[in-house]
Amino acid sequence: METRLGVFLCNCGGAIKNIDFDAVVNRIAKSPGVSCVNLSSNLCLEEGKMKMLSCIKEENLERVVVAACSPEFQEHSFGKVLEKAGLNGNLISLANIREQCSWAHEGDVTGKATELVEMAINRTRLLQPVEKRESPVNRDVLVIGGGFSAINVALQLSRIGLRTTLLEEAAVLGDGAEKLESFYNFETGSMMSAVEGDRNIEVLTSARVTTMEGKVGDFRVGITRDGEEVFHEYGAIVLATGYQTELASDFGMKLDAKIVSQEQFRSMLRAPGLETEPKSIGLMFDFCDENSRLATLATLHNALEAKKKWGSEVYVFYKSIKVDSEGAERLYQEARDCGVVFLKSESAPKITAENGRVKIEARDVFLGEDIILACDVLVGEELHLPVKWSERLSSLLKIRKDSRGFLQDENVHLYPVGSERKGIFFVGSCRGDLDLRRVLTDISSVVMSIRELLSSGNILTDVERVRADPQKCVACLTCIRVCPHHAIQLVRAGNGKEVAGISNLACYACGICAGLCPAKAIRFQGYRDEEILAQIDGIGESLEGRHIAFCCEHSAYAAADLAGKLRLHYPEGLRIIRVPCAGQVDVFHILKAFEKGAAAVLVMGCEEGACHHITGNIRAKERVEYCNMLLKEVGVDGRPAAMFNLSPNAPHKFAKAANEMTKMAKESGR
Amino acid sequence: MEEIRQLLAPYKKVLVAGCGTCVTVCWAGGEKEVAILASQLKLARSPQGKKTVILEATVERQCEREMVTEIRDKVAEAEAVISLACGSGVQTMAEMFEDKPVFPGVNTTFIGMPEEEGLWVEMCGACGDCFLDRTGGVCPIVRCAKGLLNGPCGGTRKGGKCEIDPDKDCAWVLIHRRREKQGRLDVMRKYYPPKNYGAVKRPGKVRAAKA
Repeated sequence: METRLGVFLCNCGGAIKNIDFDAVVNRIAKSPGVSCVNLSSNLCLEEGKMKMLSCIKEENLERVVVAACSPEFQEHSFGKVLEKAGLNGNLISLANIREQCSWAHEGDVTGKATELVEMAINRTRLLQPVEKRESPVNRDVLVIGGGFSAINVALQLSRIGLRTTLLEEAAVLGDGAEKLESFYNFETGSMMSAVEGDRNIEVLTSARVTTMEGKVGDFRVGITRDGEEVFHEYGAIVLATGYQTELASDFGMKLDAKIVSQEQFRSMLRAPGLETEPKSIGLMFDFCDENSRLATLATLHNALEAKKKWGSEVYVFYKSIKVDSEGAERLYQEARDCGVVFLKSESAPKITAENGRVKIEARDVFLGEDIILACDVLVGEELHLPVKWSERLSSLLKIRKDSRGFLQDENVHLYPVGSERKGIFFVGSCRGDLDLRRVLTDISSVVMSIRELLSSGNILTDVERVRADPQKCVACLTCIRVCPHHAIQLVRAGNGKEVAGISNLACYACGICAGLCPAKAIRFQGYRDEEILAQIDGIGESLEGRHIAFCCEHSAYAAADLAGKLRLHYPEGLRIIRVPCAGQVDVFHILKAFEKGAAAVLVMGCEEGACHHITGNIRAKERVEYCNMLLKEVGVDGRPAAMFNLSPNAPHKFAKAANEMTKMAKESGR
Repeated sequence: MEEIRQLLAPYKKVLVAGCGTCVTVCWAGGEKEVAILASQLKLARSPQGKKTVILEATVERQCEREMVTEIRDKVAEAEAVISLACGSGVQTMAEMFEDKPVFPGVNTTFIGMPEEEGLWVEMCGACGDCFLDRTGGVCPIVRCAKGLLNGPCGGTRKGGKCEIDPDKDCAWVLIHRRREKQGRLDVMRKYYPPKNYGAVKRPGKVRAAKA
């Protein structure tokens, strides 16, 4: 029996002027399965939704298509209407006839609007219900690290009733935190005693993580201490492993009293009675590493303190001073006022030893002259580096590092404290060069995120929105290797066969796995092959003169909406198919569009480095290349498939891409 | 692709047959590759303008007669078959359906393992006289460009790469490192006479012990 499908059209209170709604109604009323068509002018209002609800009930509808504004506005609340009517909230499609049709083109667009509704109807017929379920999660948190950030995360989590384990590789907790005391004028003693008295915090020192399995809400971590491995379970993991410093160069000399690190210089400053106080001191920073927030702070602090304590001559060599950390500008001003001399040089000074002193030669940018100084002590440039065990931790926890080796990939969507894996967070200087204020913000962010995730003890998830069919899965491990969120692992199916198991909890529903599965075993509800191809079929018998754009809902789809709002016109032949990530688009979806005669296919995703699913847009780009090669092999030249990267706030770029592709297709006679 | 098109040029109805086991795992002939090739063939505009009908089917293992019979109806319908299985699969199909031309759609190249997702490397030459016990589990016959039994040659590059291809590891460096780890470097000094490359009498035939 045909499924009973209802179509609800909305003219947006008259804001959609260039569509003849009666003609659309007449056309789609004939579509198979459509049992009722309603025209409204206020579907988004309570009144409109009530009408929709009663219609679903009266007409016994099983599925719904709404043709109105962009799904951005009301998709969620229409889903709720379905649920109220006793239907599954997944059994609905939206045809975006406002932003991506009426507003995007001049003149009558009844034809295009009808096609968009037909595309949605075709998809909706095939939709399958997706249930939701509460999954229990472990509420304990593992915090790796024993410094300022780690301790404060543990203390704050304890305050909201979550238990933590503080795991430190060193023998004592809070060793590094002491360094901060003199920097920021606070004392760490109370923090340490608070940890001791807190029953929600378990402290494990001289311990290291040796294995890690599982997913958010259920991480199984092997911890080795005194040569013995024990297993603990946690709902979330926080990495707060800090940083380490290293002198940028040893200047070809052995490190002796004359050339010291910032840290050694600091100990000299704090030593009760130094035999001979240095009369002239040189400090340098920012030559080898321009990401020098902490180095700047350390240099300014130390220069000022040396001036005040010893009254020495203090010279600071630098390339550029960045004072974006809290208090840095004040420190700089104070240092200048006290008589610290700042010398700007484009390249690192030449350092040699002369008569037991350090000779520093540099060319001052402002004076335009060479400067030669002999100092008693040189404080060398210090690099802030990831701790040695970052490498091991990142491979153990399967998380990406940035180009400098700090934990956390350089992806804007992960900032401030997220990782690509649900339930694993970073805090503080393990993820980069952060000053205290930024660290405090990190601590708050991570505590908020964990509270949201774990405090109720349950997480509401879609059940098997993305699923590998155990009958078809050949356990090739492709999906396990490509999943950017590490949400897939091998599991035993009912018949004992090993197959890919996708975790409801850890999955972000990007579909990258589905786009690559060589056995076509992965079914992503709402974006299954049949559902995508049904949309292409909905356009009509032939796609002549049509351009298909697979648009990532995070970027290009939103950019297209914005283009409509701004009335940036682009060719009417463009048909947008919304996808969760450009990485979900399968080569053969693109080929199918060409088979039906499409003039061009655009795959549009986020800017590189800004993919919500880390690698989706890169994979899409590779796939489009591959697709053009396949097309060329069979005589379709001119690279008719193209990849575009754009951000959601780039409507002009969207319109330009659509125009360019149309022009190109015309020129090659398609 | 050009080769495939020429092979199929005379036929109006063609079955693209995939295999659901090894070639699926290595992205060469599973259901997805079948769909891609079918789509490509449909897109290929034949010079006479005649339309070719393309059928698609994938069986669990094309090298098993019992499994191949599952698609006999589709084979019967088609004028020719292009098989995306390995050479064994193609031959099984050809044997099962002797009246139909069965063409190979992939060039099977080696027995290997995945190094990362989408990248495979050759590991075994199926020579029939395994040498791995002497080489710390690294096969120099296929992993050394020269197949040396007494290596390395004089051309090893800095960083342990092969002189023939700097992207590939020198097998004998790998062997040395492996044996070093095991404290069994003494074996490196041993000389191995030329190997018996005729251990398998072609065609190979193995009967499992009736256990």
